[in-house]
Amino acid sequence: MKVTVCIGSSCHIKGSRPVVEKLQELIAQENLNDKIELSGTFCMGKCQQGVGVTVDGTFFSVSPGTVSSFFEKEMKASV
Amino acid sequence: MRANSCAAINVEVVEQEDGFTVIVLADGLGSGVKASILSTLTSKIISTMLAAGLSIEKCVETIAATLPVDSMRGVAYSTFTIIRLIRNQTAELIQYDNPQVIVLRNGENWEYPRTETTIGGKQIFRSLIRLQEDDVFIAMSDGCPHAGIGIAYNFGWKREDIITFMEAMSLCGYTAKNLSTLLVDECNKLYGGEPGDDATSCVVRVRKRVPMNMLFGPPSNRDDGSRMMSLFFAKEGKHIICGGTTSSIAAKWLNRPLRASLDFTGGIPPIAYLEGVDLVTEGVITVNRVVEYAKDYIGENKQYEAWSNGKDGASLISRLLFEEATDINFYVGKAINPAHQNPNLPINFNIKMNLVQELSEALKKMGKRIKVSYF
Repeated sequence: MKVTVCIGSSCHIKGSRPVVEKLQELIAQENLNDKIELSGTFCMGKCQQGVGVTVDGTFFSVSPGTVSSFFEKEMKASV
Repeated sequence: MRANSCAAINVEVVEQEDGFTVIVLADGLGSGVKASILSTLTSKIISTMLAAGLSIEKCVETIAATLPVDSMRGVAYSTFTIIRLIRNQTAELIQYDNPQVIVLRNGENWEYPRTETTIGGKQIFRSLIRLQEDDVFIAMSDGCPHAGIGIAYNFGWKREDIITFMEAMSLCGYTAKNLSTLLVDECNKLYGGEPGDDATSCVVRVRKRVPMNMLFGPPSNRDDGSRMMSLFFAKEGKHIICGGTTSSIAAKWLNRPLRASLDFTGGIPPIAYLEGVDLVTEGVITVNRVVEYAKDYIGENKQYEAWSNGKDGASLISRLLFEEATDINFYVGKAINPAHQNPNLPINFNIKMNLVQELSEALKKMGKRIKVSYF
């Protein structure tokens, strides 16, 4: 599974750093390091809906507050 | 070249169009306002007169005739060190009563020849030196060798010891500005944080010109993208790209993948990697930090430690622009990012244009040649 987090200016201000850090933590906690490839990308062009995250190409709008439930629903469940 | 200047000591740098640069470090007798006036007058008179092509004899005569006479001591007195760079090939040193200028060549102290002359009763030492790449000239006030008298050392910081200290530093690739900061900071440490005498230094370092190119923001007209890219990439020197959209355009133009890292060091967005580009960073937030560092660097130089070792985008840009480059070409795109016009975000178009303005002004003050092209 390939998960990409937007780290452009706008998403950075909206909290891409805590999102990335939380995802890294959760992935390590669930021992999914070899199943999930987490990477960053510059502007996805959806700044209004930031923080932008794609899971195998599908776009999701995530915030530092929703990152845990996003991980459970969209990542852990379908790995 | 840069200087740190306190009240009684004044440093003047005059650059002329015909390739002459005159640098004067003057130290006035006594302390306070009077000393400050003496040193300011001295350095201003010398730099202005030499720049106008008058002889050193005339300058000294004028100083003697112009300086106000100290009522207590009955003399008009200010020491001076002049470094005149002639067409970037030769340096002329004219020294009167300041600590002797230290010249480091290939990282080692060089005792250059000096000729003694007497002008208006003043004993003046003159030297002509053919410049070599990486030569370092260190001019200072007597507050430097006096540093630590009675505290760290019985007789102050000896010239040989200053030389040993600066020899080691000069090999680390520090800029002239940072060499002078290191020297003055060390003096302040030796004084125990309370300078007994003003410690000022002025450092000149001879180096090759290094061109650098920085791309910031997408062009206002989409069709100009490939024109902007081909102009940017055709330039000699390293290439820096700032901005997410901008780097995507570059990646498309180069037909290479853009890989962003997830390393959030330094509290600013991570950098990215693109084959053919020396450095790729996020835009406004990163450049804003660079501007902050640039302003500090031409001022008090207190944040040096933050950017001199940092691995974040702003530190990397700062090192390239402040330390490595001498000639910088900016390619600035004036496109308005709709996402940035959100009033809840602390970034907008005006801020971006101001950043470029402020950055290029600060870089000019560092002595760099700047060219800005807008698209």
